[in-house]
Amino acid sequence: MRLAPISFVSRRVLKSLKELLWTHVLTAGTMTMTLFIFGGFLLIQENLHGLLRGWGSQVQVFAYLESELSSEALDALIKRVRSYPEVESVGYVSKAEAWEKFRRSLGAQSGVLEGLKADILPASLEITLTASHRSRVAAEGLAQRLRAAQGIGEVEYPEEWVEKLGLLVLGIQWTKWVLGGFLFVATLLIVGSTVRLAFLAREDEIEIMQLVGAPARLIKAPFVIEGMVQGVVGASLALFGLWLVFLLLRERIPPSLAIFVPGDAVRFLDLRSAVVLLLLGLAMGTGGSLFALRKFLKRWGR
Amino acid sequence: MVRLFRVSKIYPPNYPALVDVHLQIDKGEFVFLSGPSGAGKTTLLKLLFRQEEATEGQIIVNGRNITRLNGAGVAGLRQELGLVFQEFRLLPSLTALENVALAAEVVGTPRRESRRKAFNLLRELGLKDKHDCKPPALSGGEQQRVAIARALVNDPILVLADEPTGNLDAEMAEETMRLLLRIHERGTTVLIATHDTGLLERFSYRVVYLQRGRLMGDSKQPCEEGSV
Ligand SMILES: Nc1ncnc2c1ncn2[C@@H]1O[C@H](COP(=O)(O)OP(=O)(O)O)[C@@H](O)[C@H]1O
Ligand SMILES: [Mg+2]
Repeated sequence: MRLAPISFVSRRVLKSLKELLWTHVLTAGTMTMTLFIFGGFLLIQENLHGLLRGWGSQVQVFAYLESELSSEALDALIKRVRSYPEVESVGYVSKAEAWEKFRRSLGAQSGVLEGLKADILPASLEITLTASHRSRVAAEGLAQRLRAAQGIGEVEYPEEWVEKLGLLVLGIQWTKWVLGGFLFVATLLIVGSTVRLAFLAREDEIEIMQLVGAPARLIKAPFVIEGMVQGVVGASLALFGLWLVFLLLRERIPPSLAIFVPGDAVRFLDLRSAVVLLLLGLAMGTGGSLFALRKFLKRWGR
Repeated sequence: MVRLFRVSKIYPPNYPALVDVHLQIDKGEFVFLSGPSGAGKTTLLKLLFRQEEATEGQIIVNGRNITRLNGAGVAGLRQELGLVFQEFRLLPSLTALENVALAAEVVGTPRRESRRKAFNLLRELGLKDKHDCKPPALSGGEQQRVAIARALVNDPILVLADEPTGNLDAEMAEETMRLLLRIHERGTTVLIATHDTGLLERFSYRVVYLQRGRLMGDSKQPCEEGSV
């Protein structure tokens, strides 16, 4: 690779960035918007996904036991439940433990329980489902079987909303791509029109360059590099903006939500997603330039 | 150096600008391409530097058939040519020196050397004090000299000039012609398209005469078929 063309191209890029500063800023800004929106969806999706995974381990089926159960019958029951395919583990909570848990959950107000008998709450089994059965349908099936079992009274299982949340994540995943796709195309067009402006600003120069026999790649390279710079700058700004918004929102998670969303469970985009965003910016910048150049250089009969 | 075999050019939709043109120009020749306005002179030059493609026929420039060239081939062809136009085609935002150096740089000459070559050429063409001026601050004759310097900076083997004196007064036209002759004397082949018959009379060199797209005469072969 000879150095002369490299220095020539870099000088032209710098000159163009200087002379058409606002055009370039506008384009980079457009890419920032697109990537910000796309990255925002990515951020929400990743976090919901993480939450769901966290909750998944907490999805439990509670089976309340009838009072008059012998310890042999209890052991047999636990053993049987444990052998169900959808069951990962079974924990036993005795009447006393249930009472203690309840009392503790009331905290300062536990005084209201004064005078009540400690065996008022039933003993129960806390059944954790295997990862592949953490859905409402599976839980429902299990609950039905448990209800039929000897010694089990009430059965409670997770609400529909956990599953709805799963659907929401899926929805966000798709919205991200569809909306992202639209924005992507729109951005390409805008990048294209920037290249058009840059091209028109240098039309005479390009014509002269072509007339004296400048190789096509030398003519194209500055535009492509400008597109790349715009893309990377746009993506970096988008990441930075997302990060700011992220910090701001994390501070503002209402305390009432904090039990569902512990502060440290909210995460920023991981490295992979950040790189994806940067690459998308690069692709938009480069693609937009090449696309526009194809059209223009054709008009020049080359 | 240049050969045209039965070359025709039909502009869309159906306008024949050149019809069945045969022409041979040898290395080192100085040739006027003459004829009234609209005869096809510019078209013929455009075919030679491949701004346009011939509809029919073959064109050889410097031993290479240029009727079938890809983009890189066209660039390569133009690097061997020097082009001069009636309207100068200088970049108004660049200085004279930069205008000339740009042409050298874009074909891969390092910046420093490009500027040095440009500087020497401008001095040689009598523009020693003007190399920092931008074209709008130069007279027509000076601008055309800058354009000629640009045409020469890559050491062309063939210089094509399309009405180079068309925008100049008589005195400057004369001066420009003398410059082109000097280029010829250095051994470069020169082809000048002009409708200015006065020019042909003052400088007696080979004249190729076009009329309505047909080659009607050639002072080198006065008795050939089709001559006037
Ligand atoms: N791009 C074009 N499309 C259609 N007709 C053209 C085009 N360029 C030139 N012509 C026509 O071809 C003829 C020859 O033009 P040109 O080569 O410019 O003549 P000259 O340079 O001798 O005056 C003219 O009649 C002109 O109108
Ligand atoms: Mg003409």
